Amino acid sequence: MRGLLIKLTSILLVGSFAILLSKVEAQVTPVAGKRNGYRINTSGTMGVSYEHYGLITNPDGWSGFTPRKPWNQVRFNFSPRMQFGENFSLPFNINFATTPTSSLGPYSGIRKQSFGQFITNPMNSFGLNPKYKWAELQLGTQYLNYSDLSTGDIGVFGGGFDLRPGTFLFKFFTGLSQQGINFFTGPPQTNGAYQRNHWMASVGKAKEGKYELALNFVKGRDDINSVDSVPANIKPQEGFTMSIVGKGYFNDGWYFSAEGARSIYTKDLLLPKDSSRVSFKPFIEGRTSTVRDYAADASIGKKSRNFDIGAKLKFIGAGFQTPGYPFMMPDRLDYTLNTRFNAWKDSTGNYKMNVVASVGQRVNNVSKTTQRAKQFIGNINWFTQFDEHWNLNVSFNNFGFQAPGGLNPFGIKNVSNDFGISPSYTWNNEKMVHLFTLTYNYSNYDERDVITGNITSNNTHMALLSYIPTFLLKEIAPDFSIMYFLNKLPAFRMTLITLSSGLSWSALKKKMNLRGQLQYTYSKTNAFKNNNNLIVSASSDWRISERVTWNVFLSSNYFRYGNEIIPNNANYLESNVRTGLQYRFGN
Amino acid sequence: MKKVFFIISLIYSVACAAQINTNLLMSNMPPATMIDWEVKKETITFVIINQTGAVLRVLVKAELKTSDGAIVATTDLSRAEVMTVGPAGLVLSAKDVVPLDVMVFNGRFRTSLEKTGKLPSGGYELCVQLVTPADFRPASAVRCRSFTIAGFQLPIPTMPVHEQLIDLEKARTTITFRWTPVVPRPNAPVRYRLIVFEILEKQTPMQALRSNQPLLTTDIVGTTQYIWQHQLPFGFLPVHENINESSVDSTYIINGRNAYGFIWTLQTFDQLGRPFGDGNINGDGVSEPNIFFIDRRREPLNRTKTPARIIYNIQ
Repeated sequence: MRGLLIKLTSILLVGSFAILLSKVEAQVTPVAGKRNGYRINTSGTMGVSYEHYGLITNPDGWSGFTPRKPWNQVRFNFSPRMQFGENFSLPFNINFATTPTSSLGPYSGIRKQSFGQFITNPMNSFGLNPKYKWAELQLGTQYLNYSDLSTGDIGVFGGGFDLRPGTFLFKFFTGLSQQGINFFTGPPQTNGAYQRNHWMASVGKAKEGKYELALNFVKGRDDINSVDSVPANIKPQEGFTMSIVGKGYFNDGWYFSAEGARSIYTKDLLLPKDSSRVSFKPFIEGRTSTVRDYAADASIGKKSRNFDIGAKLKFIGAGFQTPGYPFMMPDRLDYTLNTRFNAWKDSTGNYKMNVVASVGQRVNNVSKTTQRAKQFIGNINWFTQFDEHWNLNVSFNNFGFQAPGGLNPFGIKNVSNDFGISPSYTWNNEKMVHLFTLTYNYSNYDERDVITGNITSNNTHMALLSYIPTFLLKEIAPDFSIMYFLNKLPAFRMTLITLSSGLSWSALKKKMNLRGQLQYTYSKTNAFKNNNNLIVSASSDWRISERVTWNVFLSSNYFRYGNEIIPNNANYLESNVRTGLQYRFGN
Repeated sequence: MKKVFFIISLIYSVACAAQINTNLLMSNMPPATMIDWEVKKETITFVIINQTGAVLRVLVKAELKTSDGAIVATTDLSRAEVMTVGPAGLVLSAKDVVPLDVMVFNGRFRTSLEKTGKLPSGGYELCVQLVTPADFRPASAVRCRSFTIAGFQLPIPTMPVHEQLIDLEKARTTITFRWTPVVPRPNAPVRYRLIVFEILEKQTPMQALRSNQPLLTTDIVGTTQYIWQHQLPFGFLPVHENINESSVDSTYIINGRNAYGFIWTLQTFDQLGRPFGDGNINGDGVSEPNIFFIDRRREPLNRTKTPARIIYNIQ
């Protein structure tokens, strides 16, 4: 059934693609066409790009620096949106790459993919969303966000709909987020994964910008028979989550939203059914590894042009898990208070001061199954434009983490304080605007050893001076900066000095944007001989015609160690070439 | 006649017990999540040495207690699987010794297990004995081992703060990462693998995490901070693409256009290099990731307003 769904979806995608190509020919003229009494507009883009990565290490075979991109990668995108008259639209979202590069998650290490694995690889998207008035058909890869506690993170390949007659909403979607992948010892090792099927539905009432009330249902289930071998730590799972979400927006800027959710999650489908465990038939049947728990979040606040205030609360129970957010960390309570305001009006009525601040706490291990840990976060950013020449930005960020000692003599206590101050001076004449900015950042991070109680202080100082002249009558824009960075902790001292300069300019009557950047960094650790790093990059965006743009990006990174590592004087040269053509549909 | 049968049975049981040696090996700090006990094979190893020369049929009776003697769980012997022990003996693991579908948990432990799948942290003792299938008479000596449940929680990425927008000049050479340690501190040091991915244009953060090659993969032991000298060619927007000339509202941060986007996480490993994933949903020791952006807008334009919304521009 599911295989049939995938085939049908693929056929529909290919069919629509063919229809579109037949239309594109007619749409190359900038004015929208008119066929059979319908006005047809096409917008969006399509393109292809190629990226090459090179790495030369010296001595030959030295493995101190590993490649961080695939050697060659070709990416395609095809995202036109066809509008037939006023009521019918046909947007495509097709993006795919030729070389799989996953290193985390189910596709980790995969090199040779089957067609099904290629289609559902998170690297690739094949989506089509035809919409007629309030009815949208969702086909192919969809990243659907129903709510913060039900589903929203995972791309699913399949089919479904989103119907909004009047103020009602009905949503349904089903498909696969991952194919079955067999474990392979490698290299590179492929972790393997069970095929995961998803179902999601939502029923509710909503009026855009006014209110929303919805019931969400989300289910994920692994297919036990989809693979021959997986490692012991990967278990076939099944999860079902129900949530109710309410949102309201009011004319004076006040808003609120709240969601409550309950999950039932089986951590290992291979363990036997257990009638004593919670079930919600026919959606999920309890097994010995089934857990159930609750989660809730709420926010309330007011937004306006010059003043925002908001409070957020999020509770995730220790056993709460949902297939739609596979990395959500359970067992925590977060609460934060945020504000933003403008103050100090100048003679023209504009505000000179902007303050953004937030304070919050996160309590981990709320369930008390283990030691409770507390995390405090507070930050403020304060910007003031004193006059047309001077402005000042001040920021402070504090983060603290505490947990009791338990079996250890001392508890964990890590405290981070970051302070930044950044004055800028601007002056101008008829030809130029000059901007000087001086930035100083001090960062302190204290970590307590739970055995000895000793505190290690890690201190960082960073000073940066930048100069950005803007030529009002010329098409060039250079920038210059010098940075000094010092990191100190007991028996360790690292110094960095970076000189950087960039230049961007327009050519060919502003049809071509060019940019070059040169950056040198001197770094020295303790008494070792210094390291040297040179980075050169250049880019060009050339609008060849009204619709076609050609991008080129070149960069090179040379790093040479002193004697802090063996072999001494080891070095590497990284190079990166990217080029791509983009075609823009429509006007 | 009944007495004679009882005495014969008793003598047989004692004789068997004398000729069946057992040994219980147990990790002194097993995972709090009980279904992980069978994944981590070293959690429980129960060795049965059969010196009778005959093939025996026995049940495994397990009793789990807190360190102060309160009963946590016992085996429901009427539902336990009969084990056949040949002359070569038998080695059992957690799924045979404390099968979750056969153990009967009490009180708050049952509630905790049903809700979280975990045993509450604290000191415990596991006692295991072989018994006969028919009448549950002892067939071996009782073996007990004490252990501690710590209930670890994976690290949480803290800096850069989730969805933080960093000035390009400040991030030109280094980016500092900080995270919370594993709580409570394990006996042996853990290894934090810091992994950073670039969120490419037309990608969501989770797509980037699940499909891209990481720009940084580095292992850190003993501290919860890393200063990354990334050597990436960050550059401001070309002059005519600066945001004030764009049709897009300057308060919007658009990944891949006026900002470079990154998603980062930590994967924690124990001292043997295995994922440290006690209760972790995917069993891979990967923490919930954070996202941050490097602002490509030139100063002072980037300071005029706080970004109101982040757009991933996936179409």
